[in-house]
Amino acid sequence: MRFSRKTLGIPYGVFLTLFVVAPLLVLFYYAFTNGQGQFTVKNLTDFFTDPNTMGTLVYSLAIALTTTALCLLIAYPVAYILATSRLKAKSVIIMIFVMPMWINFSLRITALKEILTAIEGNLAYYPFLNSVLGMTYDFLPFMILPIYNTIVKLDVSLNEAARDLGADGRRAFLRVTLPLSVPGIVSGISMVFLPAMTNYVVLDMLYNSTYIMGSLIGSYFSAYNWHGGSMIALVLLGFICLFTLLADGGEDENARTGGALL
Amino acid sequence: MKTRNILPLFLAACLLLSVFAPAFGSAEEETVTLRVCNWEEYIDLGDWDPEEETIDLESGDILGENSLVQDFEEWYHETFGVRVKVEYSTFGTNEDLYNMLTIGDVYDLVCPSEYMIMKLMSEDKVQPLSEDFFDPEKETNYYIKGVSPYIRNIFETHEINGVTWDRCAAGYMWGITGFVYNPEKVSEEDASTWKLLENRDYNRQITMKDNVRDAYFAAVGALKGEKLISEEFRDGENYTAELQDEMNDVSPETVNRVQDYLQGIKDNLYSFETDSGKADMITGKVVANYQWSGDAVYAMDQAEEDEYYLNFAVPQESTNIYFDGWIMLKSGIGEDQAKQQAAEAFINFLSRPDSVIRNMYYIGYTSAISGGEDGRIYEYLEWNYSAEDDEEEVVEYPVGYFFTGDPEDEDYVLTVPEEQIGRQLSAQYPSQNVIQRASIMVYFNEAQSELINRMWVRVRCFNILSVPVVVWIVLAVLIAAAVMVYFWQKREKEKMYR
Repeated sequence: MRFSRKTLGIPYGVFLTLFVVAPLLVLFYYAFTNGQGQFTVKNLTDFFTDPNTMGTLVYSLAIALTTTALCLLIAYPVAYILATSRLKAKSVIIMIFVMPMWINFSLRITALKEILTAIEGNLAYYPFLNSVLGMTYDFLPFMILPIYNTIVKLDVSLNEAARDLGADGRRAFLRVTLPLSVPGIVSGISMVFLPAMTNYVVLDMLYNSTYIMGSLIGSYFSAYNWHGGSMIALVLLGFICLFTLLADGGEDENARTGGALL
Repeated sequence: MKTRNILPLFLAACLLLSVFAPAFGSAEEETVTLRVCNWEEYIDLGDWDPEEETIDLESGDILGENSLVQDFEEWYHETFGVRVKVEYSTFGTNEDLYNMLTIGDVYDLVCPSEYMIMKLMSEDKVQPLSEDFFDPEKETNYYIKGVSPYIRNIFETHEINGVTWDRCAAGYMWGITGFVYNPEKVSEEDASTWKLLENRDYNRQITMKDNVRDAYFAAVGALKGEKLISEEFRDGENYTAELQDEMNDVSPETVNRVQDYLQGIKDNLYSFETDSGKADMITGKVVANYQWSGDAVYAMDQAEEDEYYLNFAVPQESTNIYFDGWIMLKSGIGEDQAKQQAAEAFINFLSRPDSVIRNMYYIGYTSAISGGEDGRIYEYLEWNYSAEDDEEEVVEYPVGYFFTGDPEDEDYVLTVPEEQIGRQLSAQYPSQNVIQRASIMVYFNEAQSELINRMWVRVRCFNILSVPVVVWIVLAVLIAAAVMVYFWQKREKEKMYR
């Protein structure tokens, strides 16, 4: 047996086949068959004609978009300030932001539930707001880290050149730093946006009784409708692919033109 | 260089081990493996504190030292001379269990609720209990000797596809549904009706189970309330049968009305809860929670530990009486006689009065076993609820219907402190009054289930048609503006490079 570099890839290959490719095939099978095992596209047409699934899609999108926007709004300044400061303890501060990730997720949300109850009194009046806050709390580190990593690696001289050529601080930031940190923003968004569409445990724990995509799939499965449920999962997967493709396209364009934006 | 040497060695070691492993195993005697699947937290796991938790009945102390499963394995070996190994696993909901069975998990003995038992029976997946199991002469047949006449009657009078339940299923726990409520915030009168769910006085302060069947039953009860409590209906000749028909009405019109009702109360509720109901009652986030009686007992017990008292009320319209029962599955048992014997012995062991008491103490639900000639279960009830001798405000609480089938049986009347009425006792052993208006919820066929499930999804989903046109217009304008800005910028950029 010859040991080559390819051998190192075997564990990953096995993992990929067992836990990614095989389930995906099962998903496809169920999504495009009916109860009798015959091929059908009815599940697909059902998805786009049923006001419930479309409504849930819209509601999930609304939650996910708001969460992502809020995360970005909080995370970007934090990441920017930390990355550009001369603080020696930078990494410690970044760790404080990332630390919640080490604590069990449901514990964190339970704690948040108590905090919100103390502030709002009765949680039931603000289900949408609570869901968004819960998700933001949960996903914030995923937004901070990639942005921080991108900004911290930026070449300071680019910014200095912009200042030398007469750009004021605001203009230099908008024209140099911000465009160059777009890759970090994109990967941050993709880490937050998609989980936020399906993470129904947050909604459950914070008493939002409206379904989002994750809970809708669950409801199909507990009604033994694996076919409809699989189709919803598949459509979501389609959204992920579309989003990733768009993001990649955006990134390429930036790589091409970003440097010349001065 | 080293990696090359270690890998073959490792493989060789594995091979050697696998060759010898069966040889080690065969030194042991023959063992029967019993695959049991039960609800989560639904059996005594032992490890009680002997100082604090010993149940000191006059007939002897009862204490859960080891788990009941472990005790069963030992008991079976001592009694029948055969070793049995129980592979114990759990499920979260009846639907989960059904899905697990569909994807090919194999179990010998499972404990679903009555409607799932009916579904599995109608699909011919259940192995009937053997004749031997029903022989009351046999010393170890604790189930048939001890099952409550009340439960037995229900199991014998309900059938699916011409087979009565009792042929296939052995009752384990049972209960009713009702409201746990905070008596300081909610009056008993308000809590004693399903209309509490729509009561604006408790706007967003009540939770109910996130479960289509419970929600449906409650909504039907609230909608038909006037009729259900009318004397004319109550005094009708076939009251029980008619009540069951009314409560299990799944005609499309009723399903539609239920949908409107549930959509209406959705905003009046705190939320539908999956598991937080008990904790929220104890912490005071909500003032009432529509709950299963076993969990209600748990919530009341927990609250009491903090010197905080919760009550339990049963809707005056009706209540859902439910059962969880043991059934053997054909896919697991098959033709294996030894296995079937072990499975039936497992049911019997759990029905032995001391096991029953341990389970009830541990999980808070009420066993379907009354003990028959063995008086220990009634003794436990007295131990648990009877008033102290010096207590003054006491009431009599007959439970004869459960123990002998005779509601007027004078030997089974508890004397309890007045405040117990409306607390744990009335949740654990509902009064004869409540039992009379209790109705089971039957198994609906596939088309009916589909109808109800769709209704439930509609209740829970955000309705896209409810978005006003204005919002759509604003959204369209915003998107158009964003696209225009994007292209405009792109053109500007290109101009710059030129």
